Amino acid sequence: MMKKALALISLLAIAVVAAAQQPAPPKTQLKVGDAAPEFALTDTGGKPVKLSDFRGKKNVVLAFYVLAFTGG
Amino acid sequence: MDSFAANKRFAQDIDVQFPLLSDWKRKTTKDYGLYNEATGYGARATFVVDKGGIIRHIEEGRTAVDPTGAYQACSIFQKKKA
Repeated sequence: MMKKALALISLLAIAVVAAAQQPAPPKTQLKVGDAAPEFALTDTGGKPVKLSDFRGKKNVVLAFYVLAFTGG
Repeated sequence: MDSFAANKRFAQDIDVQFPLLSDWKRKTTKDYGLYNEATGYGARATFVVDKGGIIRHIEEGRTAVDPTGAYQACSIFQKKKA
């Protein structure tokens, strides 16, 4: 019983150390009120899409959803 | 960051109703400060940008998966318009 408890604590300690060694994910330097950086990217139809295409027309939600479900 | 082809297949599979863009060269991810040099991937985040091109809301990390914050920010635009 004691051995199992010690093993569990050791595993937890290793997990905590491993988590602590992970580099922190980057934080954006951008702030609310900043101008959003312009981009020109390709959509799934091969059409170029620029942020400035929406200027004065629509509000834009930009979701950076890296390696989500696309397998790529 | 996913390839154009992977995005296309994904868009077809779930019938997305908004532009799904590929940042294959990582430039936009870098411009938005989300690129992780150590992993070669970007962090997840959501930005709400108004018609003038100004950032009105930022959601980073785990909470970026939850659209509630972005939805609320969009609701504020709607109220201002009304």
